[in-house]
This record gives sequence, C-alpha cells and structure tokens, in this order.
Amino acid sequence: MVSAIFILAIGLGAAFLLGLLRDTWRGLAYALTLAALAAMSWIAGSWLVALAGGLGPVEIRTAGFAPPFAIALRMGLPEAALSLLISLTGLLSAVYMRGTLMRLGRRAMAVLLIAVMALVGIVLTRDAFNLFVFLELTVIATGGLVLLSADPRALGAGFKYLVVAQVISILLLVGVIFAYHATGSLNIDDMAAANLVTLKGGAIAFFLMFVAVVAELKPFPANGWALDIYESAHPAFSAILSAALSAAALIAADKMLSIGGPEWLPVASSLGLVSFLGANILALAQDNDRRLLGYSSIGQVGLVLVVLGQRDILGASTPFIAGGLLLAHAVAKAGFYWLSGLVQGRSLMDWTALRGHPVLIFAFVTFVALLLGLPPFPGFYAKWGLVHALAADGRYLVLGLILLGSLIESGYLMRWFGYIIKRPQVDLPPLPSLSKRAVVLTAVAAGWALGWIWGEISGYPNLLLSIPLLFALGFLFIEWLPAWVKNLVAIAGLGAWFWYTFPGYDPLHLIYAAIILVGGAVILVASFDAKGRRVGFYPPAMLMYAGLSMLILAQDSFAFFAAWEYLTIGSYFLILRGKKSEPHALSYILFSLGGAFAILAGLALGAQGVLPFDVADLAKAPARLAPWIFALLAIGFMTKTAAIGLHIWLPGAHAEAETDVSPMVSGILLKAGLFGLTLLLMIMGKQSLYGIELTYVMLWIGALSALVGNLLAAFQEDAKRLLAYSSIGQMGYALFGLAMMNHLGWLMALMFVINHYIYKSMLFLSVGGVAKRTGTRDMYRMGGLITLMPLSFIAVLIGIIAVSGVPPLSGFGGRWIFYNAIMSSEYRLPMVLIFLSGPIAFLYLFRLIHTIFLGQLKDEHRKLKEAPLWLILPQMLYVAFLLGFAVVPGLALRHVDAYISEFFPAHALIWDDITITSTFGYWSPISIMVVVGCIFAVLFLWLLVLNHRAQKVKQFNIVYSAERPFRPETTHFAWNFFAPYRKALGFMTLPLVTRFWQAQTDLLHSTAQVSRRFYTGNGQTYAVHMLAFAVAVYLIWMGS
Amino acid sequence: MTLVTLAIATGFALVLIGLLGALTDRNILRMIVAFTIANTGVNLVLIGVGMLPGRTAPILDEAVSVAQAAARIVDPVPQALVLTAIVIGLGVTALMLAYALRLHQTRHSLDIRTFTELKW
Amino acid sequence: MPFEWVQIPYALLTLFIVVNYGLVLTALIQKIGARVGRRHGIRIYQNYVDLLKNYALRTHITHGVMFYLGPVFRLTGGVGLLLFVPTIFGSEMFSNLSFAGDLILALYFVFFGSLGMALGAGESGHPYSAIGVTRGLSQVTAAELPLALAVFAVSLQYETLSITEIVAAQQGGVTNWTLFTNPLAVAAAMLSFLGSMMRPPFDVVLAPQEIPIGPPTEYHSAYLALMQTNRVIFPVAKVVIYMNLFFGGATGWGEFAVKVFCIYMVSVLVGVVFPRFRVEQSIRWFLVWAVPIGVLSIVIA
Repeated sequence: MVSAIFILAIGLGAAFLLGLLRDTWRGLAYALTLAALAAMSWIAGSWLVALAGGLGPVEIRTAGFAPPFAIALRMGLPEAALSLLISLTGLLSAVYMRGTLMRLGRRAMAVLLIAVMALVGIVLTRDAFNLFVFLELTVIATGGLVLLSADPRALGAGFKYLVVAQVISILLLVGVIFAYHATGSLNIDDMAAANLVTLKGGAIAFFLMFVAVVAELKPFPANGWALDIYESAHPAFSAILSAALSAAALIAADKMLSIGGPEWLPVASSLGLVSFLGANILALAQDNDRRLLGYSSIGQVGLVLVVLGQRDILGASTPFIAGGLLLAHAVAKAGFYWLSGLVQGRSLMDWTALRGHPVLIFAFVTFVALLLGLPPFPGFYAKWGLVHALAADGRYLVLGLILLGSLIESGYLMRWFGYIIKRPQVDLPPLPSLSKRAVVLTAVAAGWALGWIWGEISGYPNLLLSIPLLFALGFLFIEWLPAWVKNLVAIAGLGAWFWYTFPGYDPLHLIYAAIILVGGAVILVASFDAKGRRVGFYPPAMLMYAGLSMLILAQDSFAFFAAWEYLTIGSYFLILRGKKSEPHALSYILFSLGGAFAILAGLALGAQGVLPFDVADLAKAPARLAPWIFALLAIGFMTKTAAIGLHIWLPGAHAEAETDVSPMVSGILLKAGLFGLTLLLMIMGKQSLYGIELTYVMLWIGALSALVGNLLAAFQEDAKRLLAYSSIGQMGYALFGLAMMNHLGWLMALMFVINHYIYKSMLFLSVGGVAKRTGTRDMYRMGGLITLMPLSFIAVLIGIIAVSGVPPLSGFGGRWIFYNAIMSSEYRLPMVLIFLSGPIAFLYLFRLIHTIFLGQLKDEHRKLKEAPLWLILPQMLYVAFLLGFAVVPGLALRHVDAYISEFFPAHALIWDDITITSTFGYWSPISIMVVVGCIFAVLFLWLLVLNHRAQKVKQFNIVYSAERPFRPETTHFAWNFFAPYRKALGFMTLPLVTRFWQAQTDLLHSTAQVSRRFYTGNGQTYAVHMLAFAVAVYLIWMGS
Repeated sequence: MTLVTLAIATGFALVLIGLLGALTDRNILRMIVAFTIANTGVNLVLIGVGMLPGRTAPILDEAVSVAQAAARIVDPVPQALVLTAIVIGLGVTALMLAYALRLHQTRHSLDIRTFTELKW
Repeated sequence: MPFEWVQIPYALLTLFIVVNYGLVLTALIQKIGARVGRRHGIRIYQNYVDLLKNYALRTHITHGVMFYLGPVFRLTGGVGLLLFVPTIFGSEMFSNLSFAGDLILALYFVFFGSLGMALGAGESGHPYSAIGVTRGLSQVTAAELPLALAVFAVSLQYETLSITEIVAAQQGGVTNWTLFTNPLAVAAAMLSFLGSMMRPPFDVVLAPQEIPIGPPTEYHSAYLALMQTNRVIFPVAKVVIYMNLFFGGATGWGEFAVKVFCIYMVSVLVGVVFPRFRVEQSIRWFLVWAVPIGVLSIVIA
C-alpha cells in the first residue's frame, strides 16, 4: 500500500509542479489538479478499505526518527475516513469550479491543492507544532480561495477572516511553546502521556492550544468571520470549508481533548451545546441561503463537539456516533453548497427555482434528511446511540438541549423546503451545468451509501434493506410511469404485504394491519382519479405506508422508532402536496418531530443503555423512571393523535391536503398514535407521577379533546376543516377509552379505530369530491346538491349517522360499549365532558350534510355532475362495510374482545348468536336493524299509499312571508350556522393553544432577530469576540 | 531579572501592544503592522522559552562538537519553530497586504469599518 | 329474551293504546294550558279530528326524497323509541321489543327521528326549517347533559343498564323509587326534561312568532299527519323512560296513565308560568343550574 504521507506529498508536489507550467496551459494544469486530487482520494480510500478490513492504525515517522525528534503522522480508521472525505470534497469542488479555475489559472489550482493537502495534514499529524503549521497553511489557502468568489463582498470577508486567524495563531503558538516547555515534546501523544494539564504551566498552555483549535470550529458566538465567508465565498469553496475544514478542525479538537483528559470534556460539551443551540436559533432569522447553511454548519459542528465531550460515557462508540454525525453533516452541507451554486438567487425564496426539477428536489430532500438525522441516514444511528448513552447516564440536560436544538434546526430546514415546494416560483431557472449537477448527485449518492454503511456497522438490521422501504423507494424509479400504473403497483404492494404478513398478527395487530394495508388500498382506489404522472405522490405515500406497516411489526425499540420516523416523513411530504398546505405541513412536521423526540427520549430512558431493547421490556423499567418514560412516550403518541394542546397542526394539515390524501392522513395515519398508546398502556399499565395517576390525566386530556374538537368543528365554515376538527374529537374519545384502562374501554377504543377509519375516510372522500366539483370547500357556498350528487349524499348520510352514534348503524355500538365501559370505571368527573361533547357532534354533522346537500341550490351549481367515479367507488365500499359492520360487529370485535381479556379479564362481553351481553346491559344489533327497518318500511309504504302522486316542485316553491325568494344566496341558511351557540359557548373556542405555541415561536424568532445584531460585520469586533470567547472558555474551565 | 525572563516579558508586552493596536486602530494597514509586532512578540517568547542561560547557539561546527552538543547548546527545537513561524508569519502578512491592496483598489478605503456589508 | 312472533301484535297493541292515550293527553294538556290563559281551549277529541283530516288530505308536492322521507324517519323514531322500552313492568305482553337493546339504545334512538326530520325539513329549502333545527340542536347539547348524568348516576346506583332491572329495583313501595333513593339525579333529569318537551321557557325551537313553527314549516297534509302522530307518541315514549328510571315504572295501564300525566304536567306547570328563553340563555341556564346537580349526583353515586 502507498504510504499515507504521499497524500501530502502529492498535494504539495502537484502544487509546485503547477507553478512550473506555462500559464496558458490551463487545460493541462486543470487535468493535473484533478489527477492529484484523485490520487490523494485513491490513497485515502485504499487506506480506508484496508483499515476497515481490520488493519491496525499505522504510525508514520518522517525523517526516520521517532518523536519527539521528528514529526509523526498517524493513519487510523477515522483519519482515513476524514482524509478521504477531505480529498473527495476537494476533487468534487474542483470539478464543480472548473470554469472559475480555468479562468484564474494554475495559481488558483495550486492554492486549492495546498488547502486540501493542509487539511489532510491536520487530520494526519500527531505533532502540535505541525498542527499549527497546517492550520496556518489552511488559513493562507483559505485567504486565497475566498477570492475565487465572484462576489465583491468576499474581499472584506477574507480580510476579517485573516484578522481573526492572526489572533488564533498567536494563542496557538504561545500555547504550543509552553506545552513543549512543560513536556519536552511536541508530539501530541507524548503530551497526553506526560499529562500536560497537571504540569506546572501546562494547564494554561493547554488552555491556549485548546481555545485556538476550538476557535477553528467557528464556535458560536465567536464566528462572525466564518459566517461572512460562508455567505460570500464561492459555493464550492464553502463546501470545502463546511465539510472538509470542519472535519479537520474537529479531529484537531479531538486530539486536543486527548491531551486535556477528562476534566476538559465538560468544557467541550458546553461549548458544543452553546454552538449547537445558538447557531440554530440564529439560523431561524436568516433569509440568505448560504448564511443559513453556515449557521447550520456551525450548529452541526457544535453537536459533534458535544459528542466528543461525551466520550467518557460513549466510550468505544464515539467514532461511530461522532463519525455518523460528522459525515452526514459534511456530505449534506457540501451537497447543499454545491446545490446553492446552481440556484441563481441568494434568498431562500429563490430556491423555488428547483421546483419542476425532481432530481434536484430529491437531492435537497436527501440533504435535509441527512442533516436532521432521519432514517436511514447515518445521523439517525448516531443520534440514536447518543441519546441512549446520555439517557443511560442521566445526562438529561444535555439530552434535552440536543433534542431542542435538533427541533429548531428541523424548523428552519423544513420551512425552507416548504418555501421551495409552495411559494411562487421565481423566474431564475437553476443553472443547466451538467458537471455541477453531477457533483450534487455524487453527494446524494454518497449520502445514501453512508446510510447503507452505517446500517451495516450499526449492529441493527440495515434500515435501508427492509422490504417496505425498498418498495417505497422503488417508486422513485418508476416516477415516469402514468399515475394509474403506479397506483396499481401500490395497491398490489399493500395487498401482497398484508397477505405475506397476515399469519403473524394477533387480533389487535390484525385490526391495525387491516386498516393500514387493506384500508390503505381502498383509499388508493380513489387515487385512480388523478390524471397524468402525479410526480412526487407515490414515493412519500408509500413511505408513509411502509412506516406504518413496519411500526406494527416492530419488536425492538430501534425498529419501532425508525418506522415512526418513516411514517412521519412520508406523511409530511404527502400533506405538503396540498395547494395551501405549506404552513400546516410545517406545523405538522414540527409537532411530529417534537413528538418523535419525546418518544426517542422515552425509549432511551427505558432502555438504560441496553440495546437492542425489546419494546415489551418497558414493563421492566425502574420504578424511579417509569412514570417519566410513560409521560414522554404518551406525549409523543398524543402528538400524533392531536390531543388537545398538541392539536393545532391537525385542522390545517388534514383540510388542505389533497382529496385522497386527507383520508389517508386522517383515517389511517392518526391510528399510528393510537397504536403507540395501545402498546404503551398494554406494556406499562398505570403509572403515577408525584401522586397523580397519569392515565387519569390522559382521561382528562381525551375528554377535553373530545369536547374542544367537537365544539370547534361546529363552528367551521370549511367542510374539510370541520371533518378535521371532528377527528380531534374522535381521537379524544379513543384516547379516553384507552385511558380508562378496563376491558370495555379498550374495546371501545378499538371500535373507534375501525369506525373512525371508515367514516372519516368516507366523509373526506365525499366532501373532497364535492369540493372538486364546486371548486370551494366553504359550505355556505354550496347547498341543495342532493339531487345532483346523490351518491355522495348517501355516503355522507350514512357517515354522519355512524359518527353520531344513532342506532342502527355501527357508531351506536361504540356508544353502547362506552356506557358499559364507564360503568366499570372508577372515574366519574371526566365523563361529564364526554357527555357534553356527544350531542355537540350532532351540530357539526347536521351542518355538514345540511349546508352542502340540502337547502337551496346555487345558480352556478345547477349543472354539476356527481363526483368522479373513482372517488365514489371507495365510498360505496365503505357504505356497504358500515352497514355490514353495524349488523355483525362481532365478526371483528369478538376476537379483539377475547384478546383483550388476556390483559383485562373482568367485564368481557358475551357474544351469543345475535345478542351481545355485558355485565350491565345487552345489545342486539341485528334486532335493532330489523325492527327499525320494518317500522321504517311500513310507515314509508303507508306514506306512499297516501301521497303517491307527489311531484317535485321547483326550488323556491316555499311559503316565505307571502313572498317568493329567487336568490338561493339569501335563502340558504348556512353561514355562521350556530350563531346562538357561539354566543353561549364561543368562549371555549378561543385559540389559546395556538396563541401559546405562537408565542413560543415568536419568542425564538425575536431572540434570533435581536441576537444576530451581535454580528456587526466589523472585523475588529469579531476579533474582540474571539478574545472574549477565550476568556469565557477560561471561566467555564475554572468553573467546572 | 534574568535575560530569559526579560525576553519573555518583552515578548508578551509586544504581543499585547500588537493586539491592542490591531483591535483599536481602524486603518487596516496599521492593523497589519500591529499584527507583525504581535508576531514578533510571539517569536521572542518562543526564543525565550527555548533559551538556556550560558549556552551557545545550536550550530554544530568547530566551536561545538557533536559530543559536547547536549551540554553546550540551547534547545534547538524552539529555534527551528521560530524559523517556521517567521516564514508563516511572513506569508500571512503578505496575504493581508495583498488583501489591503485589493480592498483599497475596489473600495477606495482602508477603514475596517467600511467593510461591514456582510453582517447579521 | 328470545323473539317470538306473538310479540308483534302485542307491540302493536301497545302502540294503539299509547296513540289513543297520547291524543287525549295532549288535547287535555292543551286545554289546561288554555285555561291557565283564561281561554276555553280545544275540545278533548280535537286531535282526532285534526289527525284524520290531515291523513285524508292529498298533496302533489314534494321537495325531494329526503323531504318525503323526513316524516317517515320522524315517526319511526317515535314508534321505535316506544317499542324499545318496556311499557308495563312485569308484563310479558307489554315489554314490547326491548330485547333489542337496553337503556342506551333508547337514549340514542331519541335522536333518530329528530335527525331524519331535520334532514327532510332541510331539503324543503326553507330557512325557517334550518333555523329551527340549529336552535333545537344547540339547545339539546346543553339540555341533554343533565339527563345523561342522571342516567349515569342511576345506572351506577342499580349497576345495570337494563330498564327492566332498573324498574324491578324500584318495586316494593314508593320510597324505593329513584325519586327518593337518588333525588339529585332525579332533580337533574327533571330539569333536563323541561328542556326536551318543547314547552316554554325552552320552546324557541318551534318559536311560533319568529319562525312560524320551525322545522316542520313546509310539511302539510299526510306528511304533517305522520308528524302529528309522532307528536302524540314521542312525548309519551319519552315520559315512559323517565317513569321507568325515576318513578318506579308502571305495573298496569292505570298506573301508567296517571304517572305519565303527572310527569308530563311538570313541564306544563313550568311552561305556563315562564316566558321563552333565547337559545344562548337556555344553554347557560342548563349549564349553570342543571348540570351541577347532575355532576353532584354522579360524584355521590
């Protein structure tokens, strides 16, 4: 194998060689540059392969002497990986900058080579002074490369950088010489072995070196200079700065920490946390893309520094975790900067240019997922390990701050993505350059490859290799097919997976599986209505279904959480597809990710470092932690069911989604939260925190959700929003049922699971069909559509009877079980709210059917047709199923009933042939149906006999104060339908929760707006920041 | 006060003077000069740290034979370091001067306060 | 309780008795109301005349399918409610079709007719209908709550949801009635009762002055006849539930007649004294006065 020192030698040599070439031979110079970078990459790559294959780290002694008499280099696995990263980034950036380099000639190329060489040198060297030299070389090279930019402001930025770099170099040099004085060696390992920090003057020497190296990480807040460079430099250089320089600086910091020993780890952690949180908060206020990415870089590097600072508990897994985060960051950020070079404007909105370029959008999504640590990327494995280690060791503050920072980070990245997809497109198309796009796509490929690698070495089954995920990803490759073909494939896939996994389900899981897979397939029937190719629909939809179907199969906590993330991401993209859904999709993903973090923290607390961790082992959680685990998980799951307080994302998200997406995210996706809650309660049972029983709290939350959801639904003018609020209420009922923790409560909850899927999917489809025809979702703009859209009307009619719980349809079964359940419950007071919310459902249901289908038909609607066949078809299936389920609920429920008896033996139902008997009462669905049917038929026949000649009269043939109205608008009583009710109970609909969350985000944003003034733009101020930072580090060190 | 202490004290004094100048003077040329002063100070400190009183320069010639070297010469490493540091300092200074030139050409100003269009 | 065919004629017999009783009862009540207002009032058989007349009238008008079916829904609701509840305690003959379900069925079936009728009225396109329905629905959310709480309290008290068993538990003397064993629940239920009987102060739904008669505005002839039939059955059916839950049920038709009349009269007595509430006023009234009693009853139970 070629010695690693040749990486440096080639870089240096080629740079010299470039100087010998004639300035006009630019093509040759460029080829030489590329060849050198490729050779460097190849050497680093071959080392990486060899080291990964089991070779131990290799020490390289220059000049043939052992340290301290000569400089030593070391090539170990981390060094090889980072060398490869750096030289590849350099190579790709060189390809990317072809035009600029050719214009500026060989000098620029030489500087680029020196930069890459110096960065690799920082990685490899084990000598403190040599580190200084390479750092200074980096500074000089950076100073040169900043000038590659076409942006005239880069000049100022470069100078500021040099000013700060001078300050840093003074600190470092003084530190190095005193460290040498104390230990007699410049070798880092010797310094560590001599225990530098305990020697006389050694501590202060180390402090100076440490501050200087950490300063290279551009720590918040002493980083104004770096941000200016990020903003103004050539994007390909920013890519090097963000990916390669950060990586090099981090490994330098790691070397320093190896000298500093355990007492400096907390300092590193604190600095990292401040950087991670501060940079992410300030990024919220940015509207320049590159500056925002710069902030994000600083935040990510801070996070890796935290990981390095936690090495005392991470131990041998430190490289895996730090590496996962660092590589994910590097690839994503380099990719982002390269992508930013394709975008012609610098505002975040200018990225709307990417729209219509699915490949670039996919690249963007990949980079965001890499940064946020979403599965299946390395950051996911890394965060998983990190959080578990922190939780096991009780470092809750660090854990909490990391999760908070991640949430803020996802806030601005997801918001940006929303802009790209939804904001008005700017008239600046992305640059057509093929080579630049190829570079971006290389980063994408590298990201996925890293995901695969991290999956392989994680010790878990590789997330990338699960069949449902591969199926979903497969849709990326058939995006060019027409929608109906993809739809067929999707339906077939869901059906096949159900068939394949069917034998493995117990009755409880079977219900969820049937809803997700079979139910999902039924909703997809409506998707046949879509025309064209429908690009961007199937991959996320199938990702959501993949997540859902993996969720119910998950045994260990890792698989469970990964599935949870999949379904969250998939549904986010789905929701975002709606016309006006940008803000709602954002609030959905933020609440969901917040909830996911709560789940992650809960699982980590439960696992206590034991991995892999079977979810069922949550039952064995230590009593001290159990209630906290329970609370965290419950909050996470309740975010998904939109329990009151965490519900504000739902109405917009469900209402603005596309016609066939609304039933998916309402009818199916909400069940994920219920599934989680079911598992949680089944495993952990009742828990008390400070003497308060948590299930009792959940009971109240469920009841309040039911009440507020129903009440708000009654006041909506928008039909889909009405249905969305109704979902909040329905989920409240289900939560209430589960929280009752008795047999019938659970049965009721599961009945709600089935019923809610059916009627909410059906109602969303019919209302969606109506909205499609009328062009509005405002109910007061509709009216009298019954004769034009009779099938939709029937679906809504059956739907509202079922929702309201009026016999003889299946909703009544839910109510009957509910009453039996509360009879055996020990709680009374929360029932009051449930009783109150029950009749309120009638308000919104009547409004829904009346203002759309009854009343006066509008003139502009006179020629409307029935909703499209593909939308009607699933509705009719649902109608048939609802009627069937109403008559024979036992088909599904008695198995579940028997299954629940394993957990709650008391109060099981008795399923005789036609009558269902509980401890308290009885219910005979078939008899009810027959009796009601007979009475109805007899009376109907009688009326027919009496009035068989009745003919339909014209619309305005009504008695109206002796006048005849001729305008439907004035006669259709629909707007503000429940005005008196608003007078009476409107105070309960004040948007207090929305205001609360709004205040939180406003607070963050104003903090960001105010604190960013700190970066005055003056280079001297930045230098003062740097010195102040050094003093602050000193104080932290003294304090710790 | 020994020569060593004096050298180190002077070095630090130069560093502080240099930093003070670099952080307070608005003219970028004077800032560059200030940094060179600070660098000189650092170099002085380096030398001072490596200095052993009563010994000679680490040059092996007729005056100092290889056998005596360990007892007669001062530590050669800091001296080597200083050489490198001077070279690097020169490079950085040159680069800064080049920047100053370009800044003056494009912006017609040498006041650091005028280059604040990138901020926040 | 297995089903036997003979139960059908028995149920029809109950229906027949109740219709006649209801016709007379409502006329009598109307007369009482008129006398309080110093008017003479209708003749005691006037309801028969009206009903026969309306059944005899023919119409050529319908506003559509739901309009046509509205009265059918309405009357199905009334008849069903009556038949799902055992009328006479201890009588196999008059336990009707209660094998189909328990108290919960009865409570929820109350809404069947209202919902159907509201839909039918809605299709007529008359704004008064819609306004009447919104008022009714709004009021019912608050008015039903005390009843729901009382029913919960009572079923907790007797640990059953079977109406027959609840009545059985109250046998053996007046003091065994829920009225005396659980007065709070009964108080709450009776306040709720006021709200559901379409009498002042809670008759804003039909509000003869503002929205002529509310939901049924457009209904006439045989449609109206069906609704009038319901209007004599439905209150009785509802009172029967109250009677069974709170007042010991009835062991014979005599007791039935007296108890139903007395319970009905509660709403009449209140109604002739008080003026009408607006919707939001009645909602507040129920939430402030009736609901706390109901809450108290379930907390104590």
